[in-house]
Amino acid sequence: MSIAPAELARTDIEQDLSADRPWITLVWNDPVNLMSYVTYVFQTYFGYSLEKAEKLMLDVHQKGRAVVSNGPREKMERDTEAMQGYGLWATLQKDE
Amino acid sequence: MARAFKRNGARFVARLDDDEREVVARLLEQTLELLAPVPREATGDPFEDLVARLGLPQLKDAQDDTPAAPRDPALERLLPSAHRQDPALAAEFRRLTEYGLRERKAANLAMALSALQDCDGDKVRLDQDQAQATVVALTDVRLLLGERLGLRTDEDAEGLQEQLDAASEDDPQLYLAAYYDFLTWLQESLIQALMGL
Repeated sequence: MSIAPAELARTDIEQDLSADRPWITLVWNDPVNLMSYVTYVFQTYFGYSLEKAEKLMLDVHQKGRAVVSNGPREKMERDTEAMQGYGLWATLQKDE
Repeated sequence: MARAFKRNGARFVARLDDDEREVVARLLEQTLELLAPVPREATGDPFEDLVARLGLPQLKDAQDDTPAAPRDPALERLLPSAHRQDPALAAEFRRLTEYGLRERKAANLAMALSALQDCDGDKVRLDQDQAQATVVALTDVRLLLGERLGLRTDEDAEGLQEQLDAASEDDPQLYLAAYYDFLTWLQESLIQALMGL
C-alpha cells in the first residue's frame, strides 16, 4: 500500500462532488420553430401540462433559452437527442 | 386553393391541389436527401458490419481523426452541436447520436411523403401516426428553408417580408420564402389540430 499523492487525492474529491451535480437540458430560441409547435413538443415528449409547456416555451422565446429537464447525464443525453429529433435546438451541460 | 388541416374524427384532413402537393413533396424529398444517413459500406468484418446495421457508431470512427469535410450549414442546424462549451463532449454526442437521429428524421420525412402521395383527389388524410410524423417532417423542411433564407434570429424572420418586397421578381429567394410561408401556415394548422385547439 502507498499513500496517494496530494494532487491525486484532491482530484478524486472534485470528481465526487461534480458527480452529485445534476445535468440540464436546454432548449434555445430559433426564428423558425413555431411557438405552438414548441409547446406541443414539451407536452408530447415530457408529458408536461399545457400551462407548464407554454411557460417553458415563452422562456425560450423571450429569454433566449430555457432549462427543460434536469437529472443524470445519461437521461439528459436522451432528452437532448429527443429534442433534436423534433427539430428543437437543444444542448446539455452540467448545471452551474 | 389549399385548405388547412382540420381534425375529422380520428383523421387530420387538409385539401391541397396538384401543384401544392407537388411542391410539398419535392421539399420533403430534398430534405430527406440531405438528412438520410449514408449507408455504411460492408467492411468484411462481421462484428463491424453488425454494429453498422444496428445503426451504432463503428469502432473505427473513434480512431478516425481525419478532419471532417465542411458540412452544409443546414445540417448544422438540423443536427446541432449538443454542447456549447465542450467540443469533445459535442463530438462524442454526435458520434453516438447522429446516425440514429438521421434515421428517425428520414423515417418521418418518408412517412409524410407517402401519406401525401396516398391522397384522395385533393384531400390529404392523415391518421395519428402520420400526423405526428408529418408535423416533425415539416419542421425539418422549414429549418432547411429557413437556413437557405438566412433566418438566424427572430429579427431576420420579421424582416423577411421587407427583404422580399425589395427582391426582384426572378430572385430564387422569393420562391423559397413563398414555400416557407406556405409550410408555416400548413404546419400551424396541423399543430392546432393535433393539440385539439
